[in-house]
Parts: sequence; C-alpha cells; structure tokens
Amino acid sequence: MGGLLKLKRVVLFFAVVCLAGLGLAPILVMVSKSLIVNGQLSLAHYASLLSPRTLILLRQSLELSCVTALLATALGVPLGILCARTDLPLRSLWAVLFTLPFLLPPYIIAFCWSLMLGSQGFVALLFGPAASQAFSAWFVGFPGCVVTLATTFMPIVMLLTMTYIRTINPSLEEAARLFAPWPPVLAKITIPVIRPGILLAVILVFLLTLGEFSVPMFFRYDVFPVESFIQFSAFYSFGAATAAAIPLAVITLLALLVERIFLLEKSYQLRPGHAEAGLVIRLGASRWWFFACVSLLGLLFVVLPLLVLLFHSGSFSTYYTALSKAGDSLVRSLIYATLGASLLVVLGFLCGYFIHNRMLGLWRGMDTLTIFFFALPSPVIGIGLISLWNQPATNFVYGTFLIIILGYIIQYTALTSRITLSALTLIPPSMEEAARMVGAGWIRRMVLIVAPLVKRGLVAGWLVGYIFCLRDIGITMMVYPPGNDTLPVRTFTLMANNPTQLIAALCAIMMAATLVPLGALCLFWKRKGVAHGAD
Amino acid sequence: MELIEFEQVSKAYNGKVILKSFSLRIAKGERLVILGPSGCGKTTVLRLLAGFIQPDGGRILIDEALVAADGRNLKEPEERNLGMVFQNLALWPHLTVKGNLEFGLKAKGILKSERERRIAETLQLVRMTASTNAHVAELSGGEQQRIALARALVLYPGILLMDEPLSSLDFELNRQLRNEVLRLHGQFGFTLVYVTHNIEEAFDLATRIVVMKRGKIDQVGTPEEIGEHFGRRLPKSELLQEDEDGGKRHE
Repeated sequence: MGGLLKLKRVVLFFAVVCLAGLGLAPILVMVSKSLIVNGQLSLAHYASLLSPRTLILLRQSLELSCVTALLATALGVPLGILCARTDLPLRSLWAVLFTLPFLLPPYIIAFCWSLMLGSQGFVALLFGPAASQAFSAWFVGFPGCVVTLATTFMPIVMLLTMTYIRTINPSLEEAARLFAPWPPVLAKITIPVIRPGILLAVILVFLLTLGEFSVPMFFRYDVFPVESFIQFSAFYSFGAATAAAIPLAVITLLALLVERIFLLEKSYQLRPGHAEAGLVIRLGASRWWFFACVSLLGLLFVVLPLLVLLFHSGSFSTYYTALSKAGDSLVRSLIYATLGASLLVVLGFLCGYFIHNRMLGLWRGMDTLTIFFFALPSPVIGIGLISLWNQPATNFVYGTFLIIILGYIIQYTALTSRITLSALTLIPPSMEEAARMVGAGWIRRMVLIVAPLVKRGLVAGWLVGYIFCLRDIGITMMVYPPGNDTLPVRTFTLMANNPTQLIAALCAIMMAATLVPLGALCLFWKRKGVAHGAD
Repeated sequence: MELIEFEQVSKAYNGKVILKSFSLRIAKGERLVILGPSGCGKTTVLRLLAGFIQPDGGRILIDEALVAADGRNLKEPEERNLGMVFQNLALWPHLTVKGNLEFGLKAKGILKSERERRIAETLQLVRMTASTNAHVAELSGGEQQRIALARALVLYPGILLMDEPLSSLDFELNRQLRNEVLRLHGQFGFTLVYVTHNIEEAFDLATRIVVMKRGKIDQVGTPEEIGEHFGRRLPKSELLQEDEDGGKRHE
C-alpha cells in the first residue's frame, strides 16, 4: 500500500508540475527575452509603455471590458433567474438559445452584425440605406465590440446564475417568502446569497473581454490584445508584442487577486448537486409579458444575426466552394478539438483530484495557477509559447500541431479541473475509503470507483473542453505552424479579401461543426440516461 | 373557534401519493404536534399550510379565509400571517441577527422606530440582546435556534410553524429550548403547529397530538390519550416505524 500511495503522489505531482511548468516557462522566457536588446539587458521595449498611446490603449481596453461585463451581467442575471426559477414558457429553450453565441468564435457574431448593417443588410431593407449607413458608422467601433462581446459572454453570467441559484438552500427563500413577495426576496436574499457566483462571472467576462482580439480587430477598435497581435504578426517584433501583452497579464493578476480576496472560502449556504427543487417563481399575469421581452432579446441578439448569416451564405455551390477552400482546416479543427478535449479531461481530472484532496500543501496554488492561465489573454500565452519552443531542438513541437495542443492545455485546464472538482465534491469520501479498506490500490480506485462516479463530470468536462478548443482563435492564430491552421483561423484570415457569401458559409460550417457533434452527443447521453444522472 | 382547517386535502409528487384526503381542524391558541415517521407526510402538511406548495385537491382555511382550493393557492405565503422555524433554521448567512429580524418588518412597511422596538423586545424575549449585530455564523447552535425563533415571532404571527427545529440538538439543549417554546407560547399566545418524529418532544409540547402514517391521520388526541392508546397496544418503536418510501424532502 505504501508503494501505491507513493505512486499516487508521484502521478499527481508529475501532472501538477507538468502543467505549472508548461504554463509558466513560456511566460518567464517571454518576459526575459523582452528584456534583452542586442544582447544587452534593456527596458527599451517597455519604454513604449510610457507613451500616450499606452494610456489610450489602457483606457479603451478597460472601458471595453468594464462595459461588456456590466451589460452581460445586467442581461445574464435576470435571464438566469428567469430560466432557472420561474414558470416562463420555453425557459429551457431560451437557456440553450442564449448560450449559442458562446459556443462560436466571437468574430462570427461580429460578422453577423456587419451583414445585418451592410448595404444589403436587414437594417437597410427595413429603414433604407441612409439609416443603415448612419447606424453602421456609429456601430463599428466601441458599440459593436460591446454588443458582440456581451452577446458572446453573457451566457457565462446566465449559466453561472442558473447553477448557483439552484444550489441555494430552498429554506432560505421559503423563510423570506413568509414575509415578503418575490421581488424583495430576490433582491435581499437570493441575489446576495449567490453574489459570489455572480462576481466570479463578472470577473470572468471582464478577463475574457480583456484578452479578446478578434472582435476589436474586426470593428477596428484599438485595445492591448490587438496591439500585441499586430506587433507580433505585422512587425514580427517580439519585444514590442511582449511589452503590449504585459499590461494584460498585470490586470489579469489584479483581477484574480480581487477574486481571491473577496470570494475565496466565502461562507454561503449552498447545497451540492442533486438536491431538492426550490420554490418556483410564478410570474402570474406578467408571464407573457416576460416571455415577449425575452423573445425580443433572443430574436434581436441571437436568432436574427444567425439567420442573416445562414440566409447570406446562399446556395450549395457557396458551401461547396467553402469546403474546397477550408475542408482541410475543418478536419484539423475537429481532430485538434477532440485530442485537446481528451487530454484536458485527463489533466483536469488529476488536477481536480489534487485540489479536492488538498494535497502536498500546493492545492491552492495549483487552483490559482490554472485559473490564472485560463484568464490570461491568449496573445500572452501565444507569444510565450513561441518564445520558448521556437528553437531548433524543439521544432518537433513548434513546427507541428503539438504547439496548438499545448496552448489548449495551458489555457483550458481550469475548465475541466473545476468541473471535475464539482463532481468530486458530490462523492462521499467513504466511497474511496471503502475501496481502500478492501485492498484496492490507488489506480484501481481511480479507474473502478472514482472515475465512474464522476462520469457525468468527465463527460461535461470533455464537452466544454471540446467546445473551447474548437472555437479557439486567440492561441491558434498566434502559434499555428504553416499548413496546420484551424477553421476559425482560416475563416478569419479569409475575411479580408473574399466575398461575404463565402465567409458566411464558412461561419455556418463552423456552427455546424460545433453544434452537430454536441447535439448528437447530448442525444446519445440522454438515451443512455447519463444526462439524467443514471450514474 | 377553528383557526386552521384542512378539508379533504390531497397531495402527490410524481404520481406518488403523499397525503390522502387529509382533514384536520386546529383551534386558536392550540399547541398541535404532528408526530410520525419519516415519509409519512407531516412536513407536507406544514408546507401546504405555509403556501410553499399547492394541494392537488381539497381546501385549506386560515381564520375562516380560504387560502388554498381547487388545486391552487389563493393566498401567497406572505399574506397568511405565519411564522416558521425550519429544520435547518434557514438563517440568512449574509445578514446580521438584526438584519434577519428586520427583513420581515421592512417588507411589511413597519416604520424604523417601531422596527427597532420590536427587534429589541423580541431579542430580549429569546435572551439574545447581546448578539444584535453579530453575524449568524458567529453564533452557537443553541443561539441560532433562538434567533430563528425570534425571526419567526418578530412579526407577531397568529400561527407558528415548526418543522423539527430541535432535531439536531443534544438532549440538554433540546430540553431547554422546548421550555423556551412553551414560555414564548404563553407570552405571545400564537397557535403552534409543530412537526417532529421525537415522541418526547411531542408529549412535552403538545396540547393535542396527531399521529400520521402513510399520508393519513392514524390517531388524534391529547398526550394522555395518545400515551394511553399506544402504551397499551404498541411499543414506541412501532409508532415511529419508517414508512415504505423513507424520509425524503417531498414529505
């Protein structure tokens, strides 16, 4: 047993060190390289950080992140409450519908908006070309970025609100309902109790917006990630790109510090997993009014943009051309996403188990590190990976798809780790202890007891990992070797000088690549009973 | 005069019948204890009375006013003038002791000076004046019980519902708090509907005991009558034998 205990420690320690090393080494190398100019230690690259342009970029980056986070919260919290706790008609359908934009690369939504506002777009048809032109002139820039990114990231707030609201001890609301109608109960009891979850969602949206470059680039709005990407791809200036990425890393660190200080070990009464249903908020006479408002929101921000995209993609010949131009990148996208998701599940399971069991005194650091990597803007990770692996000796990584998979692992392990962690907290420790008492070693316990018990979490983790890898553009765009681009990257690069019909078709194919496997898997699991907790 | 009336009330969850043609009348000022094993439907009776769930059939009246009928609630929980102490107490963790008591008073639109007076008075009655500004997490189990009681009483409810509130306490604290409930009942004069599976608690607190089994009333009587009945015919363990469906929340 002692040997097996040792094996457990070795395996977990190896997994954790690997992840920490893979993520931290590129950043350290990137920073150290940026400090050397012509073989001398120098801060020349960082001199640009003191320029007035840096202040403008900083202000614009922060403004965009703050306004997007606020708008996503203002929409996401009410929608989360409506979908999770009320008798709103079709609430499950709305939850799925509003989640759709999050499953796609954000620039696809930006492209949809540009189609709607174009000279032959929906707005021009309705209000005439002059109105469309005026609206388009206003929309391109900050408003377009905010609308697109808020639509894309709002599901984070909505889904986290739904999750947290379902974990509230129902008695807390019942006790309040004896004294007051629903509005004050929601305002004074429900929302304050789930505030840590909402704050977490706000910080996530803030950080994801901060690191996003495809949408600001599309709408020609200057922010740090765009600056960093341009310095890297247009001028091939590593130092300047790193210098532009450093403020992003610093803001990320500060935001995570806020999260740690205000949210860590927050004591609120939440129940784990399968628990009794709380009270349903009966909307009464306002039910159809709410339904109309939610329908309008869904129609305007999700259905209409996606329908315009599908309509614009036109005929089968356009799809044929699209597939002939980007079929290879579609296949690669699916392979990389499948591979990335599978590795993420394994690593996430080990990290989740490590954190759950509070091992080696390093579990909190590990948790913080994975979240830091997730929140770190993709240009930072991308430039770091290139700085570290672009050596003759490591060309087998840098020159192949492995560099993309490495990027996925660094950035997205937090997702599978956190999902595994939630699943592990639902298993009584006695399950594993009982297996240990009858002599089962650690690997046997993991394979035969723990993994089957967290099957649902592992499946959910794989799905989330698959979606994030498939939609990724930030890391892939920075690091992909020639001939290894993915569909989101190919579509983004073709945007500049190809007909919009072709781009619309590529975006539609991207949507299908995400939604068809997702739908098929959900259907399969539903039939198998996994989705209903048959485990 | 009857304060609470259940008339042929039935309730099922997912096709499983929890209450069958349940009829019961509770007089004003009475201390009624509903006693029964897990899964017998006793908590469902409280939740129906509070208005958290709707009956499938039958009628419920409070103070001669119809509060639920024809499969729906006619009065919302906050309109029924009830106080309730939950099994897990359900003290709001983000509020102080004062905040917990003040929530209901504010919701009812009571003025600040009156709120302050009532909070001070109620905390004095449960002997917790020193903890006014403490957070509930800082209190001991017994103190939390007292605050839960104070929160339920601060609005002077006509009816106090208690759902196994003392089940998690040790014997001594349980006994102390039972005495506290009796003392407060004497002072406030509310009607008490108390749910428990603890025979000693039931006999200590009740002026009348309802024994429930499989969603129906098995016996009703004063503690003496119930004690005499079961004392002759059944051992206590049989009285509280768990119903087939076990104790689930839907109870």
